Amino acid sequence: MTVFGASLRYEFHMQVRKRSVWIVPALILVLFVLIGGSLLRDLFDPRERAADPRTAVVALAVQIFGLLAIGFGGLLADRFVRDDRLRVAPILDATPASPGARLLGKYLGTGAATAIPIAVAYFGFATAYAVDAGAPAALGWALAAFAAVFVPGLLFVAAFALAVPMVMPAPLFRVLFVGYWLWGNVVSPDIMPTLARTLIHPLGGYPLAALFDFHGIDGQDTWAGPIPGATLNFLRPDPTPALAWLSIALLLILAAAALAGGQALRARRLR
Amino acid sequence: MRPLTLWRYEIRRTGWTALLGPPIAVALGIAAALANPQPGDTTTARILLGALEMAIPLAAGVSCASLIGRDPAVEIQLTSPTAYRVTLVRRMAVTLGWTAAVAMLMAGVLIVTGWWDRWPASHGPVAGQLTWLAPTLGLSGLGFAAGAVLRSPGGAGALVTSVWAIQQFFAGSAQENLPGRLLYLFATTRGAVPGDWTANRLTLLGAAAVLIALALVVVGRSERLIDGEDE
Amino acid sequence: MRIEISGLTKKYRGGVAALDGLDLTVPTGMFGLLGANGAGKTTLMRILAGIVRPTSGAVAVGGHDIATGAGRTAVQRTLGYLPQDLGVYPDLTARQFLDYVALLKGMDDRTTRRRRVGELLEVVALTEHADRRLRGFSGGMRQRVGIAQALLADPQLLIVDEPTAGLDPEERIRFRTLLSQFAGRRTVLLSTHIVDDIGQTCREVAVLAKGRLIFRGTVEELTRHAQGRVWSVVTDGPAPTEGTVVSALPQDDGMRYRIVSPAAPSPEARPVEPGLEDGYLAVMAR
Repeated sequence: MTVFGASLRYEFHMQVRKRSVWIVPALILVLFVLIGGSLLRDLFDPRERAADPRTAVVALAVQIFGLLAIGFGGLLADRFVRDDRLRVAPILDATPASPGARLLGKYLGTGAATAIPIAVAYFGFATAYAVDAGAPAALGWALAAFAAVFVPGLLFVAAFALAVPMVMPAPLFRVLFVGYWLWGNVVSPDIMPTLARTLIHPLGGYPLAALFDFHGIDGQDTWAGPIPGATLNFLRPDPTPALAWLSIALLLILAAAALAGGQALRARRLR
Repeated sequence: MRPLTLWRYEIRRTGWTALLGPPIAVALGIAAALANPQPGDTTTARILLGALEMAIPLAAGVSCASLIGRDPAVEIQLTSPTAYRVTLVRRMAVTLGWTAAVAMLMAGVLIVTGWWDRWPASHGPVAGQLTWLAPTLGLSGLGFAAGAVLRSPGGAGALVTSVWAIQQFFAGSAQENLPGRLLYLFATTRGAVPGDWTANRLTLLGAAAVLIALALVVVGRSERLIDGEDE
Repeated sequence: MRIEISGLTKKYRGGVAALDGLDLTVPTGMFGLLGANGAGKTTLMRILAGIVRPTSGAVAVGGHDIATGAGRTAVQRTLGYLPQDLGVYPDLTARQFLDYVALLKGMDDRTTRRRRVGELLEVVALTEHADRRLRGFSGGMRQRVGIAQALLADPQLLIVDEPTAGLDPEERIRFRTLLSQFAGRRTVLLSTHIVDDIGQTCREVAVLAKGRLIFRGTVEELTRHAQGRVWSVVTDGPAPTEGTVVSALPQDDGMRYRIVSPAAPSPEARPVEPGLEDGYLAVMAR
């Protein structure tokens, strides 16, 4: 087995066995059902739900991803620094395994394990909707939304959650991360300068607008593109499918840069 | 009264997040207010009070979520005649005391400069302190209890941040019904029913008391603490 | 301080019994506790220290019932405890760490506390490093800090779990002498895998296996258990398969094996005088 494969496998197993990886999203979903009840009820109400299955499951994706990504980032925040804390780092560093391959395995392994409850929740609701609405196409759209919105966004979050606690305590990262998530995804650009609706929008504004033609449940919202008078509009060109792919690529490049930065910092401290 | 030296050691144990979190929260709030391009003092005042009601409690909540677990000397703590739960309460008091000092300083500045009154729902300078106190204790109680039950600062912190975010994202639906409205953290700056404000603040304080008591009962079972955290 | 244990059982989640109906009396003085890994030694020590609650049975330490909160606190007031896996606060210096633990033990008077911390740093030969952060301490130095914190409040009961792990031979000898001198009218419960440490310090010893007491007596009685069961075999062929090999020493004419076995492991085997380690192995092999 390659170093990458072994690291991925064992990091996945260690993370997926953590009780809090399951308990935290479960509690958040319970709260979501209680608080955002009407939003979910609408999904199963023929009079209230979106007319086409694509809009329904993409709207669900935005809600589930927007909410559960916060816990996802918080749960991953100590995974990179953990090896040093548990004093296993010297053992791993003494092996001939490449640190880069180990980090990549850790990144994808722990990320995948922490994403499982999110995927279970999303596909669970999407399947229930598909059955209730008699719209099997919804499952296809759900898969597409997962690939184009969840996966790049979660990879982006996971990279920063692993790397940033190298320079600050993990709890402080959690505080700042939730602030960033609100600011960089939800705050309207006409209130303050924000990365929301730009090409660097982890909630996936460009893929939502250009690949899924999603404009909110009622078709009135826009999720990407310029806002008159807002700052940073140069990062908000009018959405096109090509720009949607560029937005996904930018998120992945930033994720890779964050990981490389974390790795370089650790290597420098070891010297 | 135990010697001040003991408190000094507990201050060191509470960590950098407890120390840096509240001032960073205030700084971000002020930065957001300065960046606000919308005209009118009311919006700016709302953002400034929002820093007190939203950002400071979040910092305190995540800090309190990190108090249980990862104490390297927990076995020595558990065999000393000073009950570990007393030590944890001391650390929580340090976290909340510092948070309160920063919050009161900010509130004082807002009151003196007149920004406090420019938000119509600010409830005066005395009772209005519940603007930050109630959500701070509510989220801190939640974090402390989650830390005790989950024994994972990561899990407990993730829960606190998620609960905070869910109330931000679904501010309207969170306040549709009565129990939700009384447990809504941001009733001063995003409250849907102004008449419920006092009841809301008192409910949050009550919920905090219940959660802290629950955490102390759970922490009393010392065996759980040496089982190791949920790594 | 006398410890009386009767019918002590501890079951962990999943039904694993770490202690299974243990009856044991520990008198004042040095008392050794031996047993393989997983025999229940650490669980027993944690129960005595008030960290772990028994599933059933009774434990009285100096007349205090540790089933009650008041009893546990009373024991902890007179307890010194060195856990097997000692954790410290890496950002504190050795002096600060000891000062903090002294405060937790209720030593509120600053002058007394400082004097006691200074004395103990001297005892464990750390005065020179007292103001260095624990982060940079070696395993042995940390262990010495652990020993010092256990002795802080002049305890009547000292529970030490693998105290000499990580110490160099000189430190080990110094520490076990210190323990013996310290014991006097106090009780010191010493758990270790290093049988020699028990032989050099304890008069009485207990051996645990699978949560049960399989031996309780003096060190001499434990040694006598191997009388007529210890053999020496010199061979240039394969090691004898009968019995437990205690040691293998290369010789000019082959390898000299020391073996504990009820019967001679080979025709050329000759009986030798047993030691404490042989006695322990003989008890374990029963």
